[in-house]
Amino acid sequence: MNPTHYICKYTPTELLTALGGTCVLLDEAPENFDLSDQVAHPNLCGFGKSILQAVLSGGIRELVLVNCCDTIRSAYDILKEYGNLDFLYMLDLLHNQGGCSVDHAKGQLIALAEAYGTYKGTRFDRAAFLAAFQPERPLTGPHITVLGARMGADLFQMTQQLLPLPTENSTCVNNRSVGAPDPAAEDFDALMEQYARALLGQIPCMRMTDKSGRKQLYNDPGLQGVVYHTVKFCDYYGFEYAQLKEELSVPLLKLESDGTRQSQEQLRTRLEAFAEGFQSQEAPNTGPAAQGYYAGIDSGSTTTDVVILDQDKNIKAKVILPTGAGASGGAARALDQALEAAGLAQQDLIATVTTGYGRSVITAGDKSVTEITCHAKGAHFLNPQVRTVIDIGGQDSKVIRLDDHGGVVNFVMNDKCAAGTGRFLEMMARTLELSLEEISKIGLDWKEDITISSMCTVFADSEVVSLVAQNKALPDIVHGLNNSVAARAAALFRRVKGEAVCMMTGGVSHNQGVVKAIEENLGLPLFIHEDAQLCGALGAALFALELPQA
Amino acid sequence: MDITAAFGQRVTQLSQRDPDKARRFLLLGWRANGLKNRLQRGNRSKSDRMLFQAVNAAMVNCLARPEKNVMVSLFTPCEPLLTQGLLPYSCEAFSSYLSGSMAEESFLRHAEDAGIPTSLCSYHKVFIGAAQMALMPRPRFILNTSLACDANTLTFRYLAEHYGVPHFSIDIPYEQTPQAVDYVAGQLREMSGFLEAQTGVPVDEARLIHTVGRGQRTLQFYNDFLTQRAGKELLSDLTSELYRTAAFHLLLGSPESEAVARQMVLEARAAGPARGRQLLWLHTTPYWVPPLRALFDHNPKVQIVASDMSYEGYVPDADPEKPYETMAKRLVYSPFNGPAQRRIDKALKIAKQVHAEGAVWFCHWGCKHTLGGAQLGKRAFEAQGLPTLLLDGDSCDRGFGGEGQAATRMEAFLELLNAQAEGGTA
Repeated sequence: MNPTHYICKYTPTELLTALGGTCVLLDEAPENFDLSDQVAHPNLCGFGKSILQAVLSGGIRELVLVNCCDTIRSAYDILKEYGNLDFLYMLDLLHNQGGCSVDHAKGQLIALAEAYGTYKGTRFDRAAFLAAFQPERPLTGPHITVLGARMGADLFQMTQQLLPLPTENSTCVNNRSVGAPDPAAEDFDALMEQYARALLGQIPCMRMTDKSGRKQLYNDPGLQGVVYHTVKFCDYYGFEYAQLKEELSVPLLKLESDGTRQSQEQLRTRLEAFAEGFQSQEAPNTGPAAQGYYAGIDSGSTTTDVVILDQDKNIKAKVILPTGAGASGGAARALDQALEAAGLAQQDLIATVTTGYGRSVITAGDKSVTEITCHAKGAHFLNPQVRTVIDIGGQDSKVIRLDDHGGVVNFVMNDKCAAGTGRFLEMMARTLELSLEEISKIGLDWKEDITISSMCTVFADSEVVSLVAQNKALPDIVHGLNNSVAARAAALFRRVKGEAVCMMTGGVSHNQGVVKAIEENLGLPLFIHEDAQLCGALGAALFALELPQA
Repeated sequence: MDITAAFGQRVTQLSQRDPDKARRFLLLGWRANGLKNRLQRGNRSKSDRMLFQAVNAAMVNCLARPEKNVMVSLFTPCEPLLTQGLLPYSCEAFSSYLSGSMAEESFLRHAEDAGIPTSLCSYHKVFIGAAQMALMPRPRFILNTSLACDANTLTFRYLAEHYGVPHFSIDIPYEQTPQAVDYVAGQLREMSGFLEAQTGVPVDEARLIHTVGRGQRTLQFYNDFLTQRAGKELLSDLTSELYRTAAFHLLLGSPESEAVARQMVLEARAAGPARGRQLLWLHTTPYWVPPLRALFDHNPKVQIVASDMSYEGYVPDADPEKPYETMAKRLVYSPFNGPAQRRIDKALKIAKQVHAEGAVWFCHWGCKHTLGGAQLGKRAFEAQGLPTLLLDGDSCDRGFGGEGQAATRMEAFLELLNAQAEGGTA
C-alpha cells in the first residue's frame, strides 16, 4: 500500500490514519533541483522545490499539502499539472485562530475525509482515529533546539551528531502537539470540531497571525542553545530570527540552507564552530606546556598556512603555500617546509591542530578545530584588544565577534555567493585587465563617486563592462567595486554587532582600497597585522599548546 | 549626477543622522514633484496627469499628515477609511516613491542588516528599513489582508510590533464560495468596529454605501476603458501603470480615482488606431530600468494595454447597497486568490478584451506568488496563441541589476511579435 506523504504539522494525520492511510513526513533533502527547475521558477523556496523534486523523481503517489504559503500553493498548482499523483489534496488553513477559523478548518477536515475515503474506498474508523494520537515527548534537561524553517532529516542528523547536547528538531514541520479529542464526542461532526480546535491550538508556525505561542519554544529553562535554520527564499522565519537575535540569552547560530545537500560542508563548519563555543566553556589545559614544539595547519581553498610555536608561544616558523590539487598533500608539503625552516623534525612536534576547509582530510593532526574558533584565538594572540575579526578570503567572508579571552561570541559567514569575497575582486580585475596588485591601489585615486549597484557578481561584471564602455576612469570604477565589497563586509559586521578594535584578516586585507573603503563605511580604523594571513594557523598552534599531554 | 540622484543621496545621508530632517526634505521633494507636474504638461495624457496628481497628493499627505495615516496592504479595502477622512498608504506605494526618489538602497540594506531575509520582496524590505530608520512616520494603526502575498502577514505584524500600534488583519479563504464571502464580509464589519474604536467616530453606513458605490463605478469605468482601448493608440509609461495600481486600490472610492477612470474612457473613445505592439503586463513594472523606459514610455511602437495589478479588483455583479459584501467579493474573487489558474484565466479573458498580442509575466524579486505561477502562465497563454515573455527583475531595487539582460530579452520578444505581426517568424 502506498504511504500518504505530508509536509506540514497542521496535516490531520490522525484522520488519514483513521481512513486507512499510512502517513509519512516528506522530509528528504534532494541532491539538486534539476526536475523542479524544469517546471518552476528557481527562486521558489527550497522547501517547495524539494517537494516538487521528490514527486517528479517518482515514488510518491499520494500527497496531502496544507495551504502554508505562496510557495506551497504554487507547488500544488504545479503538481496538479505535472505531478501525475494518484491522490493530491491541499487543505486550506486560515491565518487567524479564532472561532470562524475553527468552523472553516472543520469544514476542510470533513471535505478531506470524504475525498480521501472515496479514494481509498474506506470509512472512518473512530477507534483507529482515537488511537492515532501520540503524546509529545519534548526533551527535558539541558538541550539545544533547532528552530525555524523545515530542516531536512539528513541535515538534522548531522546537527545532532555535531552538537554536544541532546538536540530536538522544532522546525516548522515538527513540534507537532495535537491533543486527542474527547472520546465521548457524540458524532463525527462533533469529533471534527474538537479536532479542528486541537490542530489550530498547536504551537503556531510563523504563518499564523498570532505567533505569541511560539515563546514556549525558546522560553524553556533547559534550553542551552538555539540553531536557527532558514531556507533560502523562505521569508517567514527570517523575521523570527531577527527578533531572537536581539532577545535570546542563550547562544544562537543561524544556519541557512537551500534545501539540498549541496552546501553541507559549509554548514558543518558553522555547526562545529557553534559546538566549540560550548566546549570552550570547559576549562582548557592552562598549565605549563611540555618542552617542545606545536604546529597549527590551516588548509584553505587557496593557500595552506603553517605556524610552529615553541612551548613559550614564540613563533619558530611560518609558511604560506598554495594548497594545490589536494588538501592533504598541500598540508604535508607546507608542514615539511615549516619544519625545515625551524630546523626541526616531525618527531619534535608534541601536538598538531588542523583547521580550514581541508582540516577533515588531513591525517597529520591530533585534533581539528574550525577556522572560526582558530581565527578568534589567533587574533586575540596578535592583539588582545581585538573584539571583532573581519576575514575576507578567496571563497568566503566572515565576521567573528570575540570576548576578552579570545573566545567566539558570535559569527556570520557569507552565503554561497562570490559577491564580497576575494574571488569577486579577482573576477573584476580580470575584466578590467588589472593585476591584483594594481586593483588593490588604483581605486585610492578616485575622483567620481560611482556606485556599483548590483550585488550579484555576474550582474556587477556587466555593470563594470558598461562603465568601461562609458569611458569612466579606472580608479573610479575600482573605487566603486571596493565600496561594494566594503558594503558586504560592513553588513556582516553590523549583523554580529561588531565592536572596536576590529582586525582584518585574509588575503583581501592586503588590498589597500578595500581596507580604506571598509574603514570609511564603519567609521573606525582596521587593525592589520603583518601575520594577519596566518591567524588561523596561529590559532590552531595555540590550541595545540592547550591539548592535554599524553 | 542628475538631480534625482543628488536628491536621493541627500535623503540617504540625512536619514542616517536626522530622520525628521530627512522626512521634511523628502516631503519638499515630493511637493516639488507635484508642482512640476502641474506646471509642465510633458507628454503625459490628461488622465495620466490626473492620476499622478491624485497619487502624489496621497504620498505627500502620508508624510505631511501622520495623524491621519493608516498603513495598509495593497488589497485592503480602503472605502471605510475614506469615509472617516483617514489617509491610507501601502508598502508598494511608499517604497516605489522612495525608489523613484533614488533613495531606496540604504533602507533596504538596513533591513537586511537587521536580519530581514534578503529574499523578501524589495518593496517590503525598503518599507521595513524606512520604518527602522525612523524615516516613515508612525501610523495610527495598521490594516492588512492575507491576499496574494505572504509578506503581508509578516511585514505588517512586524511593523505593528515595531511601532506599538493597533493592528487588524483580514484573513481571505482560498476558495471562492458564498461562505467565504460571508466570512470576509464579517471580518470587514469587524474592521469597521475596529476603526470606530480607534477613531471614536462611527463608520456611517450611508456614506460607506456611497463610497463603495463610487469605487464600483470606478472599476466599471476602468473595465469600459479596457474594452474601448482595444486596438487603439494610447501612449503612457511604466510609472503610470504603478500609479493606476495605487489609484484603483488605495484611492478606490475617492472622487479623484473615479475622475481618472472616467477620463481614461473619454480618451480611449477619442484615440486613433494602434500602430505598435499591444502587451498585457502581469505584476508590477520595473519603471526604473532605463532601457525598458526607453522602450515603453510614450512609444507608439509598443504599449502596455492592461496590467493585472490594476484590473484584478473588478467584480461585475457586486451590489454596493451591500458594501461589506461588495468589498468581500473583490477579495475572495480576486484572480490573485486561489489557484494560479484563476489568475491565468482572468488574464486570458482580459487579453481578448484589449486585443493584446503578447504578454509579459514579470517575475519581481521575492514575489513567490508570481514566480510560482510563471511557467504555468506561459504554457497556458501560449497554448491560447498569446506569446509570453517571462522577465526576471525588480521593480524597486536598483541593486538587482541586470538592466542590459532585461532589455535584450524584451527587445528580442518584440522582434518576435513584430515578425509575427508582419506574417512571418522572427
